[in-house]
Amino acid sequence: MEPSSIIPPTIYDVINQATGLIIPEIILLATVCLMFLAGPFLVSETGQAPAGLRHRWGILSLLALSCAFVAWSNTSVVEPGAGPFRSDALVWYVRGLSLTAGILLTLLLWDQIDDGKAAEAHACLLAIIAGTNFVTIANDLVTVFLGLELVSIPTYVLLILPRRDWKAREATIKYFLLSIFSSALVLYGLSWVFGIAGTTNLTAIAARAADVQFDVDRGMFRIAMLLVIAGLSFRITAVPFHFYAPDVFQGVTSSSAAMLSFIPKLVGFSALLRLLSVSFGATSLAVWTPSEVVRFILAVLAIATMFVGNLLALRQTNILRLLAYSSIAHAGYMLVGLAVGANLSGTSGIAALLFYVAIYGVMTLGVFALLTAAGSFTSPIKMLSELSGLGRTQPVTALLMAVCVFGLSGLPPTGGFLGKLNLFLAAWSDGSTTSRVLAIVLAVNAVIGASYYLRMIGLMYLEPSSAEQSTGPAMTQPAALVAGMFCAAATLIVFVSPQWLWDAATLLAKS
Amino acid sequence: MSETTQQLILWLIPVAPLLSALITALAGPGALRYKSHLPCWTALAVSFVCSLILLFQILPSVSQPRTVASETTTSESAESVAIAPGVTAAVRPQVIAVGYEWFQVGTLNVRMDLRADSMTAIMLCMVTGVSLLVSMFGSGYMHHDPGYPRFFAAVSLFVFSMCMLVLAGSFLMLFVFWEAVGLCSYLLIGFWFQKPAAAAAAKKAFVVNRIGDFGLIIGIFLIWQTFGSLSFEEVFGGTALLNAVAETDPGRIQLICLCLFLGAMGKSAQFPLQVWLPDAMEGPTPVSALIHAATMVTAGVYLVARCTPLFVLAPGVQLFICATGAITAAIAALTALTQTDLKRVLAYSTVSQLGFMFMALGCGAAGPELVTAAVTAGMFHLFTHAYFKALLFLAAGSVMHAMGDVIDMRRFSGLKKALPITHWTFLAGAAALAGVPLLSGFWSKDDILAVIGEATHSAQYGTFFRVIQIVASITALLTAFYTFRAYFMTFWGEEKFPEEAGHHPHDASPVMAWPLGILAVCAVGIGLLTGPTHLFAGTLQRIQGLTAVETHGLHWGVMAVSSGIAIVGIGAAWFLYVLSPGIPASLAAGMKPLYLISNGKFFLDEIFQWIVVFPLRKLAALAVLFDRFVIDGIVDAVGMVPRALSVLPRQLHGGLVESYAGVMWVSVVAAVVVVLSLF
Repeated sequence: MEPSSIIPPTIYDVINQATGLIIPEIILLATVCLMFLAGPFLVSETGQAPAGLRHRWGILSLLALSCAFVAWSNTSVVEPGAGPFRSDALVWYVRGLSLTAGILLTLLLWDQIDDGKAAEAHACLLAIIAGTNFVTIANDLVTVFLGLELVSIPTYVLLILPRRDWKAREATIKYFLLSIFSSALVLYGLSWVFGIAGTTNLTAIAARAADVQFDVDRGMFRIAMLLVIAGLSFRITAVPFHFYAPDVFQGVTSSSAAMLSFIPKLVGFSALLRLLSVSFGATSLAVWTPSEVVRFILAVLAIATMFVGNLLALRQTNILRLLAYSSIAHAGYMLVGLAVGANLSGTSGIAALLFYVAIYGVMTLGVFALLTAAGSFTSPIKMLSELSGLGRTQPVTALLMAVCVFGLSGLPPTGGFLGKLNLFLAAWSDGSTTSRVLAIVLAVNAVIGASYYLRMIGLMYLEPSSAEQSTGPAMTQPAALVAGMFCAAATLIVFVSPQWLWDAATLLAKS
Repeated sequence: MSETTQQLILWLIPVAPLLSALITALAGPGALRYKSHLPCWTALAVSFVCSLILLFQILPSVSQPRTVASETTTSESAESVAIAPGVTAAVRPQVIAVGYEWFQVGTLNVRMDLRADSMTAIMLCMVTGVSLLVSMFGSGYMHHDPGYPRFFAAVSLFVFSMCMLVLAGSFLMLFVFWEAVGLCSYLLIGFWFQKPAAAAAAKKAFVVNRIGDFGLIIGIFLIWQTFGSLSFEEVFGGTALLNAVAETDPGRIQLICLCLFLGAMGKSAQFPLQVWLPDAMEGPTPVSALIHAATMVTAGVYLVARCTPLFVLAPGVQLFICATGAITAAIAALTALTQTDLKRVLAYSTVSQLGFMFMALGCGAAGPELVTAAVTAGMFHLFTHAYFKALLFLAAGSVMHAMGDVIDMRRFSGLKKALPITHWTFLAGAAALAGVPLLSGFWSKDDILAVIGEATHSAQYGTFFRVIQIVASITALLTAFYTFRAYFMTFWGEEKFPEEAGHHPHDASPVMAWPLGILAVCAVGIGLLTGPTHLFAGTLQRIQGLTAVETHGLHWGVMAVSSGIAIVGIGAAWFLYVLSPGIPASLAAGMKPLYLISNGKFFLDEIFQWIVVFPLRKLAALAVLFDRFVIDGIVDAVGMVPRALSVLPRQLHGGLVESYAGVMWVSVVAAVVVVLSLF
């Protein structure tokens, strides 16, 4: 990486400039180090810890995230150069989302972990958030990959930490192996990109890709992108890379499943946006539309993902499996936005995608949070039938859950409705046959999806309570309930006043 | 008054009831209980006052600066006799509360604007005023009902939706709140959902309304396609476009109008969709008074009146409206003759009066110069009808309250002495409905008959309107007759109480008596106050699509005839039900088939059962089979795919993860092959 300016800056200038761009991540990673170092000293050799230690770690985690938030609000948009990091509007948006998700996930983890393992769990979560940011911040293929791994590796630990039963172990192993496989695919694809462009710097790659003259190069870029898409499809749970999701969701705790339902999608889509646009020489996301091949691949992925996710969700009896399939289906909706790209004649698909990622995040995290809140640590809710009668036994939780589930089904008055509407408008206004087909498939799937979401609501309100909840309303997870409240409120607020979020999502497409 | 204050007042009209609905819904079951009427009263009073300010302060002040411009245009258009819609492009006074820019995505811009002109303001005053009185009455009537908070929450929500419906500035918003009032109506008809009849009636109302809404939404879609906008301003104001479309594609305008009218038929209970309204009487009586007599059912009339600029371009549809109105009015009046349930008599009379309003609106077909008079007459009848019909229903509710929820007129009589307040107020309402001279119903019915009379001079459709005129006159006679039949049967004759009433029925309590009294004053006086003084017409005619017409004198001839009709009808009722009460029974026996048809409500319910419900049931059964065998089959088949995909690798490798990875690997290779070979 050679600095491209005329007066060569000193090494300190370079470091100074680079670190200036990643202050929120530095805060997070510093906290991670602190937790990993200090954590073991507070736990006895048998793994016992003073009661309530987990809450203290949780507070530290929230503190770090808040500091990162403050740092984030002070970041400015900088023209990408030769340095390892960049700070554009996509970075700004993804950072905001990931930090918000970090706070929600911390609240979800609050009571889902033993005191003895709390330090490690919270540290892993923070590392995942930092990794998520690094994927977008990266201005270099190597940094992109490092970011991806900074998400993956703590995820393995986080999945196994809360429980040590064989199911969790099986789920983690499954996730671990397949994740490595997908990482290998991504790495292989990136090596192709490096091979063609001769550099790992994204700015330079974009310049190189813009004046590709030989068909051979173009063809090689295609293969490279295909591999990258395939590898990242694992993270966004696109069909046929989705198989792990139901098994893993079922095996891990609801807080881990919540993390898996959102963070990998955010990572995957931001990486896809970055890498795809760069590899086609687009100077900014505002003008990037996928080439014919890529659109074809993405459209096929989107259609398969929507149908498989929704149709298989119809028959689930385990709620975590159902939510896994729901998360697959939602990946399909988001892929529609990606396939449309920056639609210059109408609604931007990229903006619609980013809008949807944000609103999907609050809705799905909300459902998981409320699921956590409705159960207890020792007997979490696993089966769909356990929801029946929740409207009577825990009215507040049920109402909030109903809001989030309504949102996922895409019905007004929730933000989910607007999210789907935007994706539909983007695909429809694009005008090409592929996009029109995508728009129709999206609409059809929204209807199919509504049936199982509404079944959940029906169970909560129309069915008599199956288990006699004589123990009274289980308010053992207040933190999760707080997170759920935030999510439900956000779902409604985005419907009432969507413009700010839309502007934020478009800012990026227009910058 | 500053701009901000105006906007605030405009927004307060719908927002106050909404807040009250929220407060009552949240705090009602717990904190408020039997004080749940307080937020509702306050909110409705605020809305009512704001509506009055809007009508008398804001709208005139807004129209001031533009008087010069509008006067010149008005005089011009008054000179050019044919008031083609193109000429009425004068600036009309209206207030638009800028709402809230909800969402702007790409080229789609969704705004929530409140738009008020004089038609809106009149409707608002009527809606909020009547609902305030009805909610006062309701707090006495619903006393100690376990659903007390629910009742007031739903009523507040209804008033909010109704206000938003008339304040809507675009078809989209209109449609949203059109559905919202339907929902409130559903909730309130089924208020006592434990009663199977109430639940069934609520369902019926909802389903029948869906048929109309289907038409409405298609109409709105067509408007969007044709005019590229849904805002009233742009659709009605774009006269050039309107005329161009009317010239090049008259069929499309006809179709749009027909679809819109289908929506109006559902909501305003016009033949053959009127079957839901009488059943809706299963709801609490204040609800019948508010929703199913005074306000919601007139939304259809409002819609047609609002869309006048479209309807003038489709005379064929106007004739259809007129005919539908006439058929409805006649059938409903004939049915009302033999009903013994007091509330049902009133319900049929509502249907019949709505028919009258549509008859008036349809008279625009006779010529563009009649349009303004036609719309004015229809809206005026809507306005006066709201007061006297609400009064009649509340009085009937008062009877019901005193009689221990018995409403069958055969089981009580001679209540004159026992219930003096109810008696006098009912009499005022009945006289107004029958069209006794100088009462409010007289003026508005007279207007309608006058417009129909003028329409008969039309060269093209003269004969048609002469038939309408005859039907209207006969219906007016029947109206006077059945109204006083109900009155005499209830309040005259020997004193008789049903056993449910206990020994000593008590008259309306003050909280019920006051609204009755106020409404009675309105029923008696409001017509005289606003009709012959030209106050109503002068205010209404300032809206888009209408032209202020010069005050034409009173129609003495028509007035004489209609007074005669009213007196003959009342006299006949007096003769048959007071002087010689034996005759009706022998008449019924003598004309058994006719009696059965009337008493059986023309067997419309049964006809519907056979030609609509029964085939639909069969279709539904088919759909179930389709769902079970075809859809489920597909779902199951798709469900098999991953399993099938993973079965084979599992056989080969004996491990699940490998099979997953295998599928992933195969897909990647396949994709590479496809990409290399296709592109």
